[in-house]
Amino acid sequence: MSQAALRIQKISGHAGSIPGEDTQRQFTVCKLVDTTTCIGCKACEVACMEWNDLPFGETVFDNSYQTMPETRWNYWNLILFNEHEREDGNMMLLMRKDQCMHCAEPGCLEACPADGAIVQYTNGVVDFQQDKCIGCGYCITGCPFNIPKLNKETKRVYKCTLCSDRVSEGLEPACIKACPTGCLHFGSKDDMKLLAEQRAKQLREHSNYPDAGVYDPAGVGGTGVIYVLHDAKNPELYGGLPANPRVPRSVRLWKGPLKWLGNVAMIGGVLGLAVHYLRYGPKESEEERHPGGTP
Amino acid sequence: MKHEQVLPPGNVLRYTLNERITHWVAAGSYIYLLLTGLAFWSPWLFWLAMILGGGQISRLLHPWAGLIFFLSVAYMYKLWASQMGMTPNDKAWMDSVGHYIRNEDSQMPPAGRYNTGQKFLFWGFFWCAIALLLTGVVLWVPNWIPWSLRSLRYIAVILHPIAALLTIALFLIHIYMGVFAERGAFSAMIRGYVPAAFIRRFHPGWYEEIVGNSPSPRK
Amino acid sequence: MTNGWVDIKNTDLMLIMGGNPAENHPCGFKWAIEAKRTRNAKMIVVDPRFTRTASVADYFCQIRAGADIAFLGGMIRYAIDNNYYAKEYLLNYTNAAFIVKEGFKLPDEDGVFSGFDAGKQSYDKSSWNYAAGDASGKPMHGAVAGTAAASLPERPAHDFTLQHPNCVFQLLRKHYSRYTPEMVERITGVPKEQFAKIAEVFTSIRKDGDMKKVATVIYAVGWTQHTFGTQIIRTAAMLQLLLGNVGRAGGGVNALRGHSNIQGATDMAGIFDNLPGYLKVPTPADSSFEGWMKRITPKPSKPGNWDSFNYYGNTPKFAVSLLKAFYGDAATKQNGWAYDYLPKVDRNYSWVELWDNMYNGIVKGLISFGMNGVAIGPNSKKNIDALKKADWLVVGEIYPDETSEFWRSPGITQEEMKQIQTTVYRLPCAGFAEKDGSFTNSARWLQWKNAALPPPGSARLDQDILAQIFLKLRELYKKESGKFPDPILNLAWTYTLPANPSLAEVLKEINGKALAELADPATKQEIKKGQQLPGFAWLKDDGTTSCGNWIDSGCYTEAGNQTARRDPSDPSGLGIHQAWAWSWPANRRVLYNRASCDVAGKPWDASRKQVWWSEATQKWVGNDVPDFKADSNPKDHMGPFIMNPEGVGRLFGPLAAFADGPFPEFYEPIESPVENALHPKQTNSPVITRFSTPDDKYAKASDGYDIICTTYRLTEHYHYWTKNNPMNVQLIPEPFIEIPVELADKLGIRGAEKIKISSVRGSYIAKAFVTKRIKPMTIDGKKVYQIGLPIHQGYRGVAEDEGKNARTLANLLSPTVYDPNSYTPEFKGFLVKVEKV
Repeated sequence: MSQAALRIQKISGHAGSIPGEDTQRQFTVCKLVDTTTCIGCKACEVACMEWNDLPFGETVFDNSYQTMPETRWNYWNLILFNEHEREDGNMMLLMRKDQCMHCAEPGCLEACPADGAIVQYTNGVVDFQQDKCIGCGYCITGCPFNIPKLNKETKRVYKCTLCSDRVSEGLEPACIKACPTGCLHFGSKDDMKLLAEQRAKQLREHSNYPDAGVYDPAGVGGTGVIYVLHDAKNPELYGGLPANPRVPRSVRLWKGPLKWLGNVAMIGGVLGLAVHYLRYGPKESEEERHPGGTP
Repeated sequence: MKHEQVLPPGNVLRYTLNERITHWVAAGSYIYLLLTGLAFWSPWLFWLAMILGGGQISRLLHPWAGLIFFLSVAYMYKLWASQMGMTPNDKAWMDSVGHYIRNEDSQMPPAGRYNTGQKFLFWGFFWCAIALLLTGVVLWVPNWIPWSLRSLRYIAVILHPIAALLTIALFLIHIYMGVFAERGAFSAMIRGYVPAAFIRRFHPGWYEEIVGNSPSPRK
Repeated sequence: MTNGWVDIKNTDLMLIMGGNPAENHPCGFKWAIEAKRTRNAKMIVVDPRFTRTASVADYFCQIRAGADIAFLGGMIRYAIDNNYYAKEYLLNYTNAAFIVKEGFKLPDEDGVFSGFDAGKQSYDKSSWNYAAGDASGKPMHGAVAGTAAASLPERPAHDFTLQHPNCVFQLLRKHYSRYTPEMVERITGVPKEQFAKIAEVFTSIRKDGDMKKVATVIYAVGWTQHTFGTQIIRTAAMLQLLLGNVGRAGGGVNALRGHSNIQGATDMAGIFDNLPGYLKVPTPADSSFEGWMKRITPKPSKPGNWDSFNYYGNTPKFAVSLLKAFYGDAATKQNGWAYDYLPKVDRNYSWVELWDNMYNGIVKGLISFGMNGVAIGPNSKKNIDALKKADWLVVGEIYPDETSEFWRSPGITQEEMKQIQTTVYRLPCAGFAEKDGSFTNSARWLQWKNAALPPPGSARLDQDILAQIFLKLRELYKKESGKFPDPILNLAWTYTLPANPSLAEVLKEINGKALAELADPATKQEIKKGQQLPGFAWLKDDGTTSCGNWIDSGCYTEAGNQTARRDPSDPSGLGIHQAWAWSWPANRRVLYNRASCDVAGKPWDASRKQVWWSEATQKWVGNDVPDFKADSNPKDHMGPFIMNPEGVGRLFGPLAAFADGPFPEFYEPIESPVENALHPKQTNSPVITRFSTPDDKYAKASDGYDIICTTYRLTEHYHYWTKNNPMNVQLIPEPFIEIPVELADKLGIRGAEKIKISSVRGSYIAKAFVTKRIKPMTIDGKKVYQIGLPIHQGYRGVAEDEGKNARTLANLLSPTVYDPNSYTPEFKGFLVKVEKV
């Protein structure tokens, strides 16, 4: 959804001045992942690789349909498979498309020390600028969802861009385009939220999922990727989706109070020493203080 | 030192060449760490990284410099730890540290080869270096820390700057004392020797020791 | 599919059984999800494994592989017992009221129907017929004049009260009365409470006979790949007839085809016993064209006051037009339309038999296109051994495959390789994106596609290779003559570029054209000589039309290539999309759609109006093309199932319709851990063929092979060729075998450890996928484990060539045995043992 494309220029069937002319309608974009209709076909994984031209990597079968244990620097979209037995004995195969959540308050961005290496666009997309990345990996620590991954060779960190190149041209992300069942949706956050809530309500009322709900965690200010879950009370079942994700406390402490305190201490220390010097001066020997005298 | 250094008369060898090299390796690596660290610490200081070759090179070299710094500190431990033990005299020194700050050194208990402040500096740097190394390794290769052990990263990310801030405090005092407050201390670390008067003035305990045990002003 | 992919969105209830569409048909499966999302449709999945389809189901039920007839038969019983069936539909649109001949016997005692000849292992089916009726429909006793034993009576006896003990409905009730929930539990392993729950959910859509709701049945090769596969599908079809779900939007019996054009292959005579358009092949006994036509053209067989369209009554028109397409001017009325040129099929030439023939030295060579013969099995070792004995092998493929390199199969030593004398010719072919042509999908849509890029290197189009082989052959026949060169010399080959026929020309030939001026007196429409035919209604048996496949007639008309149409509009909202591609027959999207209306011609459900009788125009009209005689007034009571001589759906399959019984009976797979609980003395189907070469072995549970193995495909791979694509290999890099946690614990196997599974025929090594998604089952009191085996890997591919995979073929394990109706091998549910490597 290119912002430019949504500026109103003309309006049909309307007399008088054009309402909203030349104003920019800004909204945040959002992916909706309905895990209750995901069939784990991995079309999104393939579309992500193809669109972003990511190189192949080696994988190993590890007792799961899951392609690899977690996302990689060159694999940004991964369906996590989890077998779960409900209390009523019914089996579930939970499949969740894992990718960058595009948090409104991104921990990666907060933790990043490199000037402009992580940006958040007005449409909510959180994007890494690899040319500015210094490879420190603080974003890895800042992310509550285990998303940014370091390429050891280039020493840069990579992750889902929400296909910002496609989105800026008014196209949906590649994963959305490829999804065969319509489990993936893309639009404004408000619309997706509404759609998700409707679907969750339908699940609560018409199927055996009384705890169905929407995952849009407030701890990170809401996310640009929201989930419909069969069991919104236990998001951990879906491959460790955190129930209350937030930017790690230590990152917050470090970037907040500690930085403030440290800056005050450092500046204060230098000033203090300068004042000390002015007040007391150097430690002079007796001879220096009393030339010619003897100890 | 196998070859004894010939000292100008009236001077005492305070630091061997070995000690001086170690000190300056530590100092050099520390200053690099400080500057690059400050660049990562605050966006207001990120320009430091630019001066030092850019953010990527700074990020690349900071851990290696840290390793060098730690090894030099470790070597200092080997050199000096035995002399850094706290004695009852140090307790008395600490009790009257106010006089020391006010440059009323005559009212201080006589300091030995290293006064209590120097000992604190030594141990402060030693323990901080260990903390910086441990947390630094985690931050060096955050991608090697599995998700299940992510709390290690959370601990590291806060302890590393805390330890660094402590060293900065020590560093500032150290520079102040060595360069501004104690005339002669800086050249001691350059040339290795100090006038006997310097010792008598700042390390009277040590002076007693030397004079008492040996007729020569050498050790 | 009786219906179509998009039509699934109209359903209220889905029974997905013997199929895993989420994994194997993910794109089409969107419509199942759509039905759930927009209609709150319920989804029932019955499968030996909890699949990715099951993960989005409302109800899942784990069944023993191969026990489907017991499960579905139990549902039929449940529906009848609870009065959950469509009474009006049953009476008028099925043969429920028809009375079966005296002398017909159900298999309730000894496991065989009447007429079984134990020596020949086949049935004399003359007792599987309707009784001839008198004017009032009552059965006449004794021989009826003018009724040959091998044909249906012109006026079958019937009883519309459904009370006659020999009427189809009562026989059906009696036949399935043995399929109690207890019996279902013993056979299928599904606890009777769970079975009752599923049966209630499915059949209760016809609660109190209310016709509004519709349920669909969706299946794939999980049903077909059994020695009784056809009968499983039939049981489902009968259940759907009983519930009045056939012909209706959101209903039907829907086969999900396993490849993008497998429907097209079947339509174009993919099986030896039919010609294009499902015309039955001539046999040596058919001495003339007339004799052949007499045998294969049915006559109406219906109660006296009913009407029957009996569309196959037009068989001579289809056959003559086909022969004109084959032989052109050489086919004349005088020479019986060159009937003598047609090969007469003297025996079973099905896939498994061909390999057996090659193994036994009867078949000397093989041209293999678009398949990987040794990998697709069954019993790969037998097929590899057969190829060792062949003189030559031609393989047209896009990758070096297991068949063209059969001599590299693991286990063959260097010394043995030197002994193999087979000459292998490998022809590089074009891939699907390098060819144009039409694909016929599961929904019977012919969809034209364009080539995306030219074939690489020296690769050539299939049709070019085949045409050039043919032209060379014809040249040789011309030069050297032969025993009977006429069929080859006179074959019509009228393509613009004979050595490179365009597929558009071929499609035009399939559609058919007028060979003379034609006119329809009713509509006054005229067709000039040489013009494309608008549809099969124009076909003639006098040699004035040619048509390569009557069911596809209408796909390429004077208006152009109908299969290339891409108008997505859908005014009715029922997913009919009349102007998108072209659907056989006659572009109608739901077969038998007359049955979507009551007897008076009014739709059962006003919200899903497909077709209806218009009093104003005195015609059948609608959103879909009516699958019916357009001007047949409902008062005439023509049956909606126009392809049957009865005009109605068959609950009872009379005469030669099936090799193994007019009603489906449950039999065990050829290898089963238990005896048949219904009749232990007749465990397997009585008419299946066992092979006797040294490579053909069949195991018993008592031999230590007591674990049921079922093969399947993964969504990440496409049969045996995506193992050549790094993208697919990255998604699933290695072969694995799904085993239940309980079995793994018993054998001390942990996830991703290597295990070996062995059948009596061969073994397969792969990593274990220890899963909670397959549970141990109790079958007739015995604890039974099932395991799942993906088929994709082999000894050529990205990982295989790097030496990473075990390189064995899954079908080394499966048995050589097949369904007597469809000749499909039994890949699902054979016996193995499992051990740690």
